[in-house]
Amino acid sequence: MLLPSAAVAFALSATGHAAGMDKPVLHTGSFDAKIEYCQDCHGPSGQGYRGFYPIPRLAGQQTEYFENQLHAFVERRRPNNIMANVAHVLSPAMITHLASRFHSMNPAPLGGGPRQLIAAGRKVFEDGVPDANVAACAACHGPDALGRGQIPRLAGQLYPYLLKELTNWSLERGQNPAHPDTSFIMAPVAHSLTRSEIEAVAAYLSNLK
Amino acid sequence: MSRILSRSQIQRCGRQIGGIAGLLLALPLIVAAVLPHGASRAEETKAPAVPKQELQAKLAYCQVCHGAMGQGFRGYYPIPRLAGQQPEYFENQLQAFIEHRRTNNIMFNVAHVLSPQMLAALAVSFQGFDPKPLGGAPKNLLAAGKKIYDEGIPSAGVPGCTSCHGPQAKGDAQFPRLAGQLNDYIFNKLTNWSSERGQNPSNPDASAIMEPIAHNLTKPQIEAVAAYVSSLE
Repeated sequence: MLLPSAAVAFALSATGHAAGMDKPVLHTGSFDAKIEYCQDCHGPSGQGYRGFYPIPRLAGQQTEYFENQLHAFVERRRPNNIMANVAHVLSPAMITHLASRFHSMNPAPLGGGPRQLIAAGRKVFEDGVPDANVAACAACHGPDALGRGQIPRLAGQLYPYLLKELTNWSLERGQNPAHPDTSFIMAPVAHSLTRSEIEAVAAYLSNLK
Repeated sequence: MSRILSRSQIQRCGRQIGGIAGLLLALPLIVAAVLPHGASRAEETKAPAVPKQELQAKLAYCQVCHGAMGQGFRGYYPIPRLAGQQPEYFENQLQAFIEHRRTNNIMFNVAHVLSPQMLAALAVSFQGFDPKPLGGAPKNLLAAGKKIYDEGIPSAGVPGCTSCHGPQAKGDAQFPRLAGQLNDYIFNKLTNWSSERGQNPSNPDASAIMEPIAHNLTKPQIEAVAAYVSSLE
């Protein structure tokens, strides 16, 4: 008797043995299923993806920052309908495991940003713009933009995503005035950067390994 | 916010203007500092003033890294507390960054665009902040740290820190406040003293005074005393 292959796959997956099946098996409700679901949008190695929106790189992200953002989505301090839906069903243990797994990924940057701006962007990143009261990004994000603790990795982040975040910072972060969060630190920086400085530093970061 | 001018502020004002003229000009400030309502009058006659908006913008910029109340911040590097810092020390450090006697690329960039008036205004502003210490040091080191702070390490020729930094680690004039400073920042500074401070041998500065002390402290001693002062308010 021939069973539909999907049903076979599901039956086999219930026992955890899918060797020999060339169709990928989803262990519904488990960690593997959740990671694949994230990777649908964020890329198979978490490198990010240019969907209708630029979907950010998660690979190599600081675990504390990763977890903070998921909480921010749930609490609508960072409004994003898609990510609120993603995040609010995650258990604390799942969040921790996802953070750890994405932190360990290390693909090359997706790239695609304007290369001619990289030199100017590096200067903004390392020195800031003292005359315009823009703090040097490296002071907090580190000389290699790898981040630390609650401070995110920026190396290899998508160019259009960085543009969007820096341009819209005060509209997208810290949106619950009754519960201010650490996103306030970036508000004066994002506000003080000119459009061309944002493009330059985004170009530099999007090419960093 | 009313403010009584300290003697060093008045002296600095006098030095800037110079000589007898300076003394005469400083006289109203000295008088103002002594009279009961002199504090507000002193603010009006303080010279030369940085435009308020310019100072606020520059302060906000410093606060991005050093914390909203100057309490310090653990960025990629531990970024030091500036709140309650001695203005003379504060100004000396910015000057040292500019002249590369104290090597730090980020702070060089920050400092070299500051006018002398802005430098002084920032020093006064940060002196006025008084947040709680950021904390984070291991509590089990506090007792050992206090002993080192108060008594020094006689066998190693290390004097008690209290002799220059004061019993509450508030500092004085060119001796910095240490109270509430980040313990990991202090650890880095004491460990790297000779490679970060006094880097122009043809222009030695006051940092030389700390060199033998930093050199003679062992790593556990540094950790202990750093933990202790980081807990002080």
